[in-house]
Amino acid sequence: MTTLEVPTSPVSRGHAARRAPGAGIRTRLTPWAYQAPVLLSLGIWVYGPLVFTVVLSLLDWNLTSPSGSFVGLDNYRRLVDEPEFPAALGRTVLYVLALLPFATIVPMALAIMLWKRPGRVSDVYRSLLFLPVVLAPVATALTWRFILDPLSGIANVVLGDLGLPQRDWLGDTSTALWTMSLITAARFVALNILLYGAALAALDRRAFDAARVDGATEWEITRHLVVPQLGGTTVLLCFLCLVYSGQWTFTNISVLTQGGPVGTTDNVYYRLYTYAFTFFDAGTAAAAAVTIVVLLAALFGASSLLRRHRAQP
Amino acid sequence: MRSPDTVPATTATTAAPPPARPARPGGRAARGARAAGRHTVLVLTAVALLFPLLWGLSGSFKPGADVFGANPVPVPATLENYRFALEDFPIARLMLNTFVTAISVTALQLAAGALAAWSFVRFAHRGQRAVLGLVTVALVVPPQALIIPQFLMISHLHLRNTLVGLVVPQLSTCALAVLLLREHIRSIPQTLLGAATLDGATHGETLRLVVLPLLRPALGAVGIIVFITTWNEYLWPVLAAPSPEHTTIQTGLRLFANQEGPDYGPLLAAAMLATLPVVAVYLLASRRITDAFLQSGLR
Amino acid sequence: MLGRMSHRRLWRLVPAMFAVAGVLAAAACGDGSTTPSAGSTPAAAEAIPTLDAATKVTISFLSYNYGTPGLGGTGTQALIDAFQKAHPNITIKPQGVPVADVLTKLRTDTAAGTPPDVAQIGWSKMAEAYTALPITPVQQIPPATEWQQHTAGISQNILTAVASGGVVKAMPYTMSIPILYINADLFRKAGLDPAKPPTTMDEVKKDALAIKGAGAEGVYIGVADDSKSDFMTQSVVNSNGGSLVGKDGVATVGSKPVVDALTAMQDLTQSGAQPAVSSASAVAAFQGGKLGMLLTSTALMAAAQKSAAGKFELQTAAFPTFGSKPAKPTYSGAGLAVLAKDDVHKRAAWEFIKFVTSEAGFEIITSQIGYLPLRPAVTTKLADTPILKLLQPSLSQLDTVTPYTSFKGTQANQAVVALQDEAVAPIVLHGANPGPTLTSVADKIKKLTT
Repeated sequence: MTTLEVPTSPVSRGHAARRAPGAGIRTRLTPWAYQAPVLLSLGIWVYGPLVFTVVLSLLDWNLTSPSGSFVGLDNYRRLVDEPEFPAALGRTVLYVLALLPFATIVPMALAIMLWKRPGRVSDVYRSLLFLPVVLAPVATALTWRFILDPLSGIANVVLGDLGLPQRDWLGDTSTALWTMSLITAARFVALNILLYGAALAALDRRAFDAARVDGATEWEITRHLVVPQLGGTTVLLCFLCLVYSGQWTFTNISVLTQGGPVGTTDNVYYRLYTYAFTFFDAGTAAAAAVTIVVLLAALFGASSLLRRHRAQP
Repeated sequence: MRSPDTVPATTATTAAPPPARPARPGGRAARGARAAGRHTVLVLTAVALLFPLLWGLSGSFKPGADVFGANPVPVPATLENYRFALEDFPIARLMLNTFVTAISVTALQLAAGALAAWSFVRFAHRGQRAVLGLVTVALVVPPQALIIPQFLMISHLHLRNTLVGLVVPQLSTCALAVLLLREHIRSIPQTLLGAATLDGATHGETLRLVVLPLLRPALGAVGIIVFITTWNEYLWPVLAAPSPEHTTIQTGLRLFANQEGPDYGPLLAAAMLATLPVVAVYLLASRRITDAFLQSGLR
Repeated sequence: MLGRMSHRRLWRLVPAMFAVAGVLAAAACGDGSTTPSAGSTPAAAEAIPTLDAATKVTISFLSYNYGTPGLGGTGTQALIDAFQKAHPNITIKPQGVPVADVLTKLRTDTAAGTPPDVAQIGWSKMAEAYTALPITPVQQIPPATEWQQHTAGISQNILTAVASGGVVKAMPYTMSIPILYINADLFRKAGLDPAKPPTTMDEVKKDALAIKGAGAEGVYIGVADDSKSDFMTQSVVNSNGGSLVGKDGVATVGSKPVVDALTAMQDLTQSGAQPAVSSASAVAAFQGGKLGMLLTSTALMAAAQKSAAGKFELQTAAFPTFGSKPAKPTYSGAGLAVLAKDDVHKRAAWEFIKFVTSEAGFEIITSQIGYLPLRPAVTTKLADTPILKLLQPSLSQLDTVTPYTSFKGTQANQAVVALQDEAVAPIVLHGANPGPTLTSVADKIKKLTT
């Protein structure tokens, strides 16, 4: 039986398509036609608004009066001069740092534990451990409020019985941010166990079995053979943590603390939302939005450069 | 003629039995202890991650006066909170709204995503990289940065509190669907696609007759992911459909926090009703979902 | 990857994006037609005469009580049903909203050109509503005689207190005053006599410490309110002879009476008489029978009754005084504002407001929702009901209630949030130094309100 040789490079595939009947304008337009729905929705709903936000950041407008007045870079100056935005920026970084171990070390250890013993039991664990990703964030946040009520909630009741300190975990300025991070950490752990599992599934077990025969302990194998191969995944997950920590904590902040106490759980996304829909200061909100996007783009660019640099020995 | 060595080589890695493990130090008792240790860690982690779900579930069955009780098992259990949430509060209506919204967004994203993903794989025009870049970047742009213009657009088009206003904008989060489907289409063997072209199929026919049937499991998995994400979406419904008759259940939950503080019994019941349908969908289809992620090439 | 893309392809997308941006910019800059310049009171317009019984109108009513689980929801529905029965030609379309989102929703709806015809707005948000929303003063809708007739039986002190510039802009609707809730069982357990409740702040502290010694939490005075409202802060400060806002409207947040009042509150926490928690948590604890005294709005009354039933004996007492100075609490709750655009809808809105603030209306409001009856006639009628007996201590204070004061300017709301978040909560709950904290927040408020 002969197998048909089909050219596999993208260029030759394209060439093949172009040589088909009806080549010319119609063929050149066809790809765009297929991509039209996605392009339209991204253009109208993501990139158009992005441009509009840049324009808006140069105005002073409160969303209800007929028009806004041009104020140049005033809004940006306000962002920098007033303490709230820089403080929120600092806290956003703190959130990322607090969540990083839960996005890397913890799920890595758990994923490795499950990977070493494949079977139905591990599958059951995997299903359960992924569950936090699908739980409704608002419902979960409200349940945490119930659990963490300082006088009646189960958290302080149990801590009291164990003789440990009881606090208003979300209301005390020294514990609020860390408590908020712990609440959000569950989603990172859950998702990243799966993603590490995917990376582990691609590894070739034979090398490890050979090492075992040679007398290496499990710990040595894990530390020196498995973990290094997860380096690429870890970098990716760090980046995802950086990008999504702000958004995933946003819902919790909005439901539980509204940025308090005294701004200790604020982050730049919530600050943006506050400027827009609590204070109705559209110009400053837009300036904050542009700043966030520019910072993210810079990080994205830096990480791309870093990856390209690493790939070139 | 193929040498006998090459054939077994490809099957060896999949069919070879796991080599016998040398006995680890400690013998049977130590192994049992290690297994117990492993299970303890995993069970404790599961409880820690799922604690809000479990405790909320327990609280939702407790009568109002005892909702803060420390007993994990609600005794006496009552359905009063659920009855209250369902009868005195439009929870059923909210769940219906949420379901319709989620299904619509899923259908639209799968359709748009499949079309776009197919074109990425099929055509090699030079704009492909640019468009792919735009799609990837869209994944990273934070939604909060765009809410003001999005809100203004919806208001001026008078689409607030309508299904269209809720659904169509959520099509813009299709980046994930596009990228995942693209990976799956890429893994379809070239031989099949090439054969279809040689048989005279147009691009559309190839998509419809060859690719889509093969894509069914991926469509199912990606569809479930989009459904769950849309069901849980909070920020957009708050802005686009604030009226309780038209909104989704995530926004509706906030109505339970009245001026003097939340009424926890019915609130927890409502929260469970907002969460459990998706949990059920997930548990029935967890294999598909995890497979979709595993094959996404996110390594 | 972006660097290597084809420039030709990218430039094709740019005009499309600018087109979209242009449309949005035009929308932003051009929408002046539907909203009248917000904040200007129309020069005393012609009073609108009664509606013809044949005219059919539908008006929308935004209420944060509507649709909520509990008494607020059922009571509001009862009001709507009763009204529609009496006025078959006017249909009410109610809209619910979470209480924290009322102003946001009103502003965004106004921006979209579709504000509700009648809205229930909290008094603490009313000043901002007056400046930002197209409100027609309710006093100016009916002819003067009709207004006099309707308001004759309503507590005149309340009407004067809510008036702005001599005109009642929003009708008093669901009003509440602070009241001291008492768990009589915990009193007895601590060796105190619930028939002799504390009348001064010093006595409150003493009794609270006794209750704390007997194993429960002592007292909670809700100044650090979860919803960032400053009505309890004002009540406490006013009772100490001070005020947050001076006679000329300038903020006096850093003045001595304010500092002293908040220091007294801080002392309650630091001595252990008061737990350092949020108000929602304290309310939950009181309802669970774990808190001896709770000083908060009467709006909680119906819920408190329900949770106390079968668990503990609920009693009430009047707002405690600072020594010999008179207690001067202010009110919370909400008023009804008219945002309708045309005369027919305005008149229909007034008919609705007239109904719900009539004797029949206040009967429902008090007995089914739990707010204060603003008509002495209703007080007499319901005198024997349990809820009225519990409301008694605050009813006598209705005639001496002080107006709720607001900061000036468009950022007044931000100023209140700053006051509550950065001064009141840290001082009362977390031990911040009252003097310096209030001074620095006073500076910030000054910048926001000039």
